[in-house]
Amino acid sequence: MSRSVWKGPFVDSYVLKKAEKSRESGKNEVIKIWSRRSTILPQFVGLTFGVYNGHKHIPVNVSEDMIGQKFGEYSPTRTYYGHAADKKAKRK
Amino acid sequence: MSDRICVGAIAGSYGVQGEVRLKSFTADAQAIADYGLLHTEDGTKTFDVTLNRPIKQGFVARLSGVATKEQADALKGTRLFADRDRLPSLPDDEFYHADLIGLPVFDTGGAELGHVKTVQNHGAGDLLEIHGPGLKATVLLPFTLQNVPTVDLTAGRIVADPPEGLFPE
Repeated sequence: MSRSVWKGPFVDSYVLKKAEKSRESGKNEVIKIWSRRSTILPQFVGLTFGVYNGHKHIPVNVSEDMIGQKFGEYSPTRTYYGHAADKKAKRK
Repeated sequence: MSDRICVGAIAGSYGVQGEVRLKSFTADAQAIADYGLLHTEDGTKTFDVTLNRPIKQGFVARLSGVATKEQADALKGTRLFADRDRLPSLPDDEFYHADLIGLPVFDTGGAELGHVKTVQNHGAGDLLEIHGPGLKATVLLPFTLQNVPTVDLTAGRIVADPPEGLFPE
């Protein structure tokens, strides 16, 4: 069941503060957060968060299509490497 | 850059007609049959692969020169390699994982940060996992123009401008 609309999206307050501070400083930095439950808001677009997966902080570049998802969705807690074969990486 | 890349493995025989169970490691699983002749790791055997039908975790395939179940059984566990030059060329700013893995990574000052161990993607862009002698654990570097301004495959080096705090001082 989805969250009631009147409540608004949940975000841990320290995430908002860190994001605001990083945006003001304009530095290229990874914002370390532990809050996997926080919702990705429009003001986070363009920032890079290091989302903790219980082991280390996984860099997450926030883009527009990620708004409304939770940070934890982009930081898996189990890693399967697979094979490189013909897989491609795109530099954005 | 290696001359051959691993694209699949033989999981065993299938049935009694000399067919094999083939595991594909390619991004599009069926593409394993598009790369021409496949070689064993030591290069002593070469196969032409024909995919017959999909099964759980792979395909039923027929390999040239494999006609009996005994021959198929003997190939269990064999990894299959395709020639690197059979892969289609890519546009600018797209790279094969196989080309990036193993390349040394330098910072903008010329100091070596480490080597690319793997390339990962968890849904928020590609990440280079960098392993180096001075690092206690591997470091994940976002594969963006800002963080990785230069990828020189001919010279075999990557120049990175990592975000603050990503690498230990």
